[in-house]
Amino acid sequence: MSRLPAWLSRLLRRAAGLSGLERALVSVAAVVAALVLGGFVVLGSGYIASCREPTLFLFGTSFCFDPVEVYAAMYQGAFGTQLNQALTLQRMTLLVFTGLAFAIPYRAGLFNIGAQGQFVLAALGTTVTLLWLGPLVSGGGLLATAVLVPAGLVAGALAGGLYGLLPGVLKARYGTNEVISTLLLNFIATAVAIVLVKRFFNDPGIQGTVSRSIPEAAVLRPWLFPTGARFSVAVLAATLALVVGFWWLLNRTTLGYDIRVLGRQRAAAVFGGVDAARTTVLSMTIAGAVAGLGGALYVMMVVGRWQTGIPALGFDGIAVSVLAGNNPLALVPSGVLFGALQSGGLAINFQLGIPRDLVEVLRGLVILLVATPELFRIAGRYLRRRGRLRPAGGEAG
Amino acid sequence: MSATRTARRWVFGAAAVLTVLAALRLAVPAESVPGRMLGAVLDVGYASSVLRLTVPIAFAALGGIFAERAGVINIGIEGFLIVSALTSVIVARRLPWAGVTGPTALWLAFVAGVLVSVLVAGVFAVLTVRYRSNQVIAGLAVWLVALGLAPFITLTLFDSSSPTIGTLGTWPIPLLSQVPVVGPVLFDASPVVYMMLLATPLAWYALRYTRLGRRIRAAGENPKALDTAGVSVSRVRYAGVLVSGVLAGIGGAGFTVGQLGTFVAVGQTSIGGRGFLGIVAYLFGNYNPFAAVGGAMLFAGFDSLQLRLQQIGALDIPSELFGILPFVVVLVTITLVRRTRVPSALGEPYDGEE
Repeated sequence: MSRLPAWLSRLLRRAAGLSGLERALVSVAAVVAALVLGGFVVLGSGYIASCREPTLFLFGTSFCFDPVEVYAAMYQGAFGTQLNQALTLQRMTLLVFTGLAFAIPYRAGLFNIGAQGQFVLAALGTTVTLLWLGPLVSGGGLLATAVLVPAGLVAGALAGGLYGLLPGVLKARYGTNEVISTLLLNFIATAVAIVLVKRFFNDPGIQGTVSRSIPEAAVLRPWLFPTGARFSVAVLAATLALVVGFWWLLNRTTLGYDIRVLGRQRAAAVFGGVDAARTTVLSMTIAGAVAGLGGALYVMMVVGRWQTGIPALGFDGIAVSVLAGNNPLALVPSGVLFGALQSGGLAINFQLGIPRDLVEVLRGLVILLVATPELFRIAGRYLRRRGRLRPAGGEAG
Repeated sequence: MSATRTARRWVFGAAAVLTVLAALRLAVPAESVPGRMLGAVLDVGYASSVLRLTVPIAFAALGGIFAERAGVINIGIEGFLIVSALTSVIVARRLPWAGVTGPTALWLAFVAGVLVSVLVAGVFAVLTVRYRSNQVIAGLAVWLVALGLAPFITLTLFDSSSPTIGTLGTWPIPLLSQVPVVGPVLFDASPVVYMMLLATPLAWYALRYTRLGRRIRAAGENPKALDTAGVSVSRVRYAGVLVSGVLAGIGGAGFTVGQLGTFVAVGQTSIGGRGFLGIVAYLFGNYNPFAAVGGAMLFAGFDSLQLRLQQIGALDIPSELFGILPFVVVLVTITLVRRTRVPSALGEPYDGEE
C-alpha cells in the first residue's frame, strides 16, 4: 500500500502482523474514502434541497450544507464534551457486543445478520426478569444489586442465545440459509416483542409501547462521568475483558480452532474430524448470547426499560465487525469510530437540522469499501506505477 | 425438477386450496367470524390485491435469478428496490415544476427509478466482478446505504417522510375485462401487473433458449468452460447483474407508481423486506422463473391476507402479529422445502482472465 513513515510501519507491523497491517491499512483507507464519498452525498443533497440561508458557495452555486461544517459538528458531538464522550463510549461498548455476534459466526463461515433480533428479544428478557425479581428482593441496596445485575445479564444472554440457537439448528439440520433465516427472524423479533410488551408489561402511565421501569437497584450507574451520562466505567472494563476473552477463545482453544478451520476449509475441517453441525449451532448460540448481553446492558445502562425504537445496533455491529476484519481485539477501535458516528449523528441533527440518517449512509459506504480490499490494492499499485509513491518495503500489493 | 412438473404442482396446489376454501365458505354461516374471514379471501378484490403485491417480490426474484445464475450473490436486491422506489417518488414530485403532470410524470418517474437502479447495479457489479468484493457483505452494504439514503434524502427534500404521488391506476382490456371473475382480476389490472405477467415467461425463455441466457448459466455453473470457449466471464456477469438491476428497478418503481402511490421512508421503508422475500422466492422456486413468481405470489397472498384479517378486526390478535405472518410462513417453507441446488460457482470471483 502507500508509503508510511518507517517507525509507524514498524510499530503497526509488530502490533498486527504482516497481513494484519495490510488489513488495517485497507480499513483506514476505506473509512477515509467513505467519509469523502459521504461528503459528496452531503454536498449533493445540499444542492437539491432548498433552504433560506445557504451555507456554502462554490463555483457560483449555493449549497445548503457544508460538508466540512457537518463533519466538524459530528466531531464535536462525539468528543467535544465529557457527556458526548460518555455517549460515544456507551455506543462503542454496545457495538462491540453486536460486533462480536457477527464476528464469531463469520469466522465459522456463517453470516449472522440476526444480531438485531437477538438484541431486541434479549432486552425484553432482561426487562421481564428484572420486573419479576425486583419485588422479591425488596429493600434495594447492595444486596439487591448483587442479585439483580447478574440475573438481568443472564436473562439477556439466555434469551439472545436461544434466538441464535434457532437459526443455528435450522442451518445444521435443514440446511436453511442463515442469511435469510436470521434476517426474517429480525422482522419477527421486533413484532413479537412489541406485542408482548403491549399485552403484558405496558406502563399504563405512558403513551406508546413502553414497559414499566426496571428496579433502581439494577440500573448501572455512571462513575467518573457526569451524572447525566448513561455509561458505566465498570461496563467498559467488562467489555474490554470480554474482547480479550473472545480473542483467546478463537485463537487458543479447541472450539476456536474448529470455528476457524470450518470457516476457511469446510471440507478439510469435516474430513479432519470437526463436527460441523455442532460448531455451527454453538457459534450461532454464542453469538446470540453475546448480542443478548448487549441487549441486557442496553436496558440496564441506557433506557431502564423496554421501549420501541431500539436503535439499529445489530446492523451497525455488522459494520463494526467487517471494519475490524472480524478480529475481536480490533472491534474496540472500530467500535469507537462507529460510536462516534452515532453520537455525531445526533449532533448534526440538533445543531444543523440535517437528518442523522446520513450516518447510516456512511455506515453502508464503510462496509462496501472494506468488503472490497482489491480496490485499494489496485489503486496503490496504480499510484506506485505512476511513480507518485516509492515502493513500500516488503508488503503485498 | 422440470419446469412443467413444478408448474403442474403449483396449479394443483392452488386449485386444491381454492376448493377447500370454497367448500368451507358454503359450510360456514356468512355472518360468523370464520365466515367473514373466508369471505375476505374468496373475493375478486383479494385476488387483485395479491397480484399487485406480488409485483415487487416477483421482480426482485426474477432479478435475483439473473444475478445468481451468472454467479453473483445479490443480497442487495432490497437496496435496488428502495433506491428505485425513492427515485420514482422524487422525480414524480419534481416534474410538475417543469410542467409535466399526470400519467406522463408517473411514467417518467418509473423510467428514472429503473435507470437509477441499473446505475447502482452497475456500481455493485464493478465492485463484485472487477474488484472481487465479498458479495454477501457488499450486497448487505448496498441495502444499508439505501436504508440510510432513503430517509436522509426524503427528509431533506420534502417536509414529510412519506411524500405521495398517486398511482397509474388500472388498464382495463376491452371485452376481456368483462369476463366474470377472471376479467376484473387479470384484465383490469395495473400496467405493472401486465409487465410481471409478461416478464415471467420472457425471463424463463431468455435464460433457457437465448445465447445470453446460456452464457449466464455457464458463468454461474462453470466459468472456466465459458472462458475456454472464448467468452469473457466478467462481461457475462456484468450483464447478469445489470439485468437484475433492471428487473429490481421495475419492481421498486412499479410498486410505488403502480400500487402505493407513496414512498414511506421510515424504518424498513415501504419496501419493507419485499426484496428479501424475492430472494427467498427464487430459492424456494429453485431458480426457475415460473416457480419463483409462484412463490412470490404465495408470500403476497399471506401479505394481503394479513391486511384483510386486520380489517375484519373481529379476532383478538394484535395487528403486529398479523404483520409478521408472511415472514413466518416464509421461514417455515424454506425450512421444509429441501435444499435448493445452487449454481456451483456462486459467490466465487473468477480470476482466469487478465
